[in-house]
Amino acid sequence: MKSISANCRAALAALFLTTAGQAGAQAPAPDYSAYPCLSYTLDCGKLATRKPQVKMLEGTLNGNAEKGKQLAQARNNGNCLACHVMKGGSQPGTRGPDLSHYGSAGRSDAETYTAIHDMRTRNPDTLMPPFGTNGILSDPEIRDIVAFLQASK
Amino acid sequence: MRLKIRTLVFAAIASLGTTATVAGDEPYHENYPQAHIDPARGVNGDIGFSDTLPFWRTEAELERNAKWVGDPNEQWKLNWKFMDLDRVDLHPGHLAVDEGEAMAAKLAKRNPAFLACLADGGKKLDGLAAGYPKYDKALDRIVTVESRIEQCAKTVLNEEIRQGTPPNNKISVYFKSLSAGTPIKVDIGDGKVMESYRRGEQLFYKKTGQLNFACASCHVPGSIMGHKLRGETPTTPFADAAHYPTYRTPIGALESLQERFARCLGQMRTAQIKPGDPAFTDLEVFMTVLSNDYPVSVPSAR
Repeated sequence: MKSISANCRAALAALFLTTAGQAGAQAPAPDYSAYPCLSYTLDCGKLATRKPQVKMLEGTLNGNAEKGKQLAQARNNGNCLACHVMKGGSQPGTRGPDLSHYGSAGRSDAETYTAIHDMRTRNPDTLMPPFGTNGILSDPEIRDIVAFLQASK
Repeated sequence: MRLKIRTLVFAAIASLGTTATVAGDEPYHENYPQAHIDPARGVNGDIGFSDTLPFWRTEAELERNAKWVGDPNEQWKLNWKFMDLDRVDLHPGHLAVDEGEAMAAKLAKRNPAFLACLADGGKKLDGLAAGYPKYDKALDRIVTVESRIEQCAKTVLNEEIRQGTPPNNKISVYFKSLSAGTPIKVDIGDGKVMESYRRGEQLFYKKTGQLNFACASCHVPGSIMGHKLRGETPTTPFADAAHYPTYRTPIGALESLQERFARCLGQMRTAQIKPGDPAFTDLEVFMTVLSNDYPVSVPSAR
């Protein structure tokens, strides 16, 4: 066996460092027992999935794009960046469509709102969490994210 | 312990389509569409799945592809196997093997029946871990290495060495190190093992939690596997069970496979269950059958 190259060692060291930086804080785990779980014995094991839910945007959007940007980037919040390339933010995901020019696509606030609320209503095969239906984002938060997306040109 | 520094080191898309079941008064459930996995193929089932197996299966292949280590687009294809056994420098996972050995020796000194219990009545642990999980007729349940340690400590020494605790993980990584390099052989000819496998397989595809994710949402072709999920790129589930318990750098501690499941559930925003829970045991059986014919690969780091 040859010995490890300097490059590889540096890469590995970097790897240890980056992963170490993501150390999970020991905060008490939030209660997710209102959603289905894997248990055979707990009640959540028998819980139904919340059905796809069409929700229309009521009134004008009235969202705050700057707030929406923060929500979209926060790992403990929308975390849209986990799967999408967006304006700003680091380490974007690549599974979902690139949203960094979403505002130039000519999509309405209404359809964008409905999609974030529950993308399953548009695409039953989607991997995207039903942000509104499952209470991940509130109505004003979704409005903020819509505003951020529409401002991304 | 050998501590040589060595050279470091898409496929048949699962039919897409969320399967929602609504039968009569049954509650509405969503599952990720099931990929076709033949348990008889063991680790070779990755061919036609992620198709990354040829990049990490052997030492020679890992060396040939060592250039991918640290490459944000290619590294996932190595399935992190460049961090198993003695392929990386000294880390606490190696030290844990020695600690586990000392702990096991101490317990066996108190009562030699402890070792006999771990060794299925024999005297040596060598190679045994490669046969886990397995069905224990006397106990009438599936046992994992970690549940065996817990059960032997309880029955022989009346001591609690619970699964998912550091002492259990240390003894486990020692126990498994005595099978390092031995191909994993979960007995899929055993009906009870296969029942557990099938239950585990169902759990793998069950959408859970606030994010409505299944294990499969990140770990089958067509899912997020191979794509970036923030800083991570989810890899194939094949051969993954082989390197546990592993030394996890983010938490600075050993982590068993079932503790890893729990960590995933947290990321999926799903209610927690504990190591040793029957659901986790079924999931471990499913995952370990996907490591059949791949060598036990402890100690390791992730």
